[in-house]
Amino acid sequence: MSAAARTFWWTLTLAAVVGASGCSTYSHRVNGIRDSFYRNDLAGAEQQVRAGIERDSGDADVLRLEEAMICLANNRPAEAEKLLRAVRDNFDHLEQADLAESAMSYLTDDQRRAYAGEDYERVLVRALLALSNLLHDGSDAEAYSLQTIDKQEQIIAAGKDDKGQNPKQNYQRVALAPYLRGVLREASHHDYDDARRSFETVAAWQPEFAFAKHDVERAVYGRHSERGHGVLYVFALTGRGPHKEEAIEVPSSAALLIAGEILSATGKQSVPPNIAPVKVPRVVARRHDIQEIGVRVDGHDLGRTATITNVTNLAINQYDAIREQIVARAVARRIVKKGIVYGAKEASEMVKGTPASFAVDLAGVAWEATESADTRCWGLLPDQIQVLRVELPAGRHEIELAPVIRGATVRNAPSRRFTIADGDNTYLLAVFPSDRMVGQIAASRP
Amino acid sequence: MRDRVSRAAAGSIVVLMVAMAILGCRGNQYARIIQPGDKQMMGSHQAGQETFAPLVDEAVAKLLARHPHQQIPVQYAGTGAEPLPPPKSSICFVGIENCTAEEIGDFKAQLYELIDSKIAECDSFTSVNRRWVDAGLKELRVKPEELFIPGRMQTFIDVMQKQGQPFQYLLFAKLTSGTTRENKDYQRDYLLTLELVDIRTGAQDKQSATLSKGYHHSWTSRARSTLGSK
Repeated sequence: MSAAARTFWWTLTLAAVVGASGCSTYSHRVNGIRDSFYRNDLAGAEQQVRAGIERDSGDADVLRLEEAMICLANNRPAEAEKLLRAVRDNFDHLEQADLAESAMSYLTDDQRRAYAGEDYERVLVRALLALSNLLHDGSDAEAYSLQTIDKQEQIIAAGKDDKGQNPKQNYQRVALAPYLRGVLREASHHDYDDARRSFETVAAWQPEFAFAKHDVERAVYGRHSERGHGVLYVFALTGRGPHKEEAIEVPSSAALLIAGEILSATGKQSVPPNIAPVKVPRVVARRHDIQEIGVRVDGHDLGRTATITNVTNLAINQYDAIREQIVARAVARRIVKKGIVYGAKEASEMVKGTPASFAVDLAGVAWEATESADTRCWGLLPDQIQVLRVELPAGRHEIELAPVIRGATVRNAPSRRFTIADGDNTYLLAVFPSDRMVGQIAASRP
Repeated sequence: MRDRVSRAAAGSIVVLMVAMAILGCRGNQYARIIQPGDKQMMGSHQAGQETFAPLVDEAVAKLLARHPHQQIPVQYAGTGAEPLPPPKSSICFVGIENCTAEEIGDFKAQLYELIDSKIAECDSFTSVNRRWVDAGLKELRVKPEELFIPGRMQTFIDVMQKQGQPFQYLLFAKLTSGTTRENKDYQRDYLLTLELVDIRTGAQDKQSATLSKGYHHSWTSRARSTLGSK
């Protein structure tokens, strides 16, 4: 094969790989879904999710997570549970390493890897499974809450590297999981020791959760409820959760630029100049004003919800712990690409500074420029998961949920009727991404 | 020469990619039925079936052995010659309290069922169905340990009688642990205590079973420990 033909084939190969690389990020693709959801256009959001799944099966799992949130907001907890269960199983499968896929991601970008969920998402998918289940039959809620606790420990244990270091050791834990377990054990009326243990865990994992102290005291000295009474748990998904956006890793880009220039000046071949910056995802909090939800039952103010899990803090805390690994992978990818271009030139006996060498460098720059950060994430998660426990007489009641913004309660609060059963729990769930509720209030006992 | 090198390089890449595709793929999860007598799994970080099953076997056997099937004079029903079996005493098993350093998770319900089944299998006792026990505790809003408060036990007995579930004994189970550390390794002693209370006399019988388990940070540490114990 002549040198010209080899150059042609190498350039063509690079162009093919460039074509296979990602262009737009997930974050851009799902903006419409989020906008519709926050506008309370749940039907529109759901339609876009389904269209997205049909268009790109690679994003199907993360889109199903969005669909589950839409179902939950729309008072369809059984459907939400089904979707979440499927994603949980897929994530469990995908979190195993796949060398071929990993190698491919070094030639393209991280979006080519099947999405196995971030650590916090893998835990929260189980926590939301428990919540979804509580809202329709509750038969598996305890199993899901145990799975949530177990998954957190598995993720942390698996974070240990060969040197014995574990960046995940200080991961913030999801206190919602032991809380749900405590709630369910307490409702058994005999396993108060388990309830106490679970509430103590909540107090340790989420010290800001003021109700934990009362929960522990009740499990030790009190009882589930007075005779003729039951308990209402109001869960509120408040605010807008974290999302990922593409960020430029400036120090790594600068270092690679200098290294590339040195290699080009001293080596037998030039490498593509590091014009395209190294891109990595960044977890970003979203602003919102909602603080808590005021709960009013039968015309009486009964209190305000408190945060049991701060999803944004959880995501940022966990991302910070593993950020160095993500940056290292992005830098390694860039080095691999430059190495391939260098090797291609060597193999086709190009002479440095010739038009053919320049053409391959240009193709290399284009190849690097098509990299995008992997911004896939569960975008409809709330900023916080909040809860309020109130004891009420058995029977029918009416509840109003009023968001509290800068200390003031918003008027025109949504309401619904529900039933309290003697000695049992009733669960309500509402989604407040802003001062307006999305969908409807879901209740385990209408 | 150069072509040979190129072909060798291309061949190596192909072999490498095929190897990655075969060896590096995600595996499926598999399962198997563990038959009686097969090697059982052992909890590496906390107690599992290897701990709880023998504890339950021993504690329940000890307790039931002290309350053998009572020999009562043979009775005859009507004119028939068939002897009537002596009535079994009814036990109300109110629950297990976990006071160990470990969260036992889904094992608690299973421990309850294991103990309850063993009681049901013996000749001396029969047990009250758990659903009735739960309903009684729920109706009174009383915790199992509060049944010892004067008056509470009688109220509970009355409620159970009203449900058509009278009983003669109350049974409590308690799981405790003690931990001894030796550098990075530790030994945990598990104790299952069963307390049987005769509600007519207030007399109490208490039986327990113990099992010690060593947790080692490495296989070498476990091997050293195993050799040292021989």
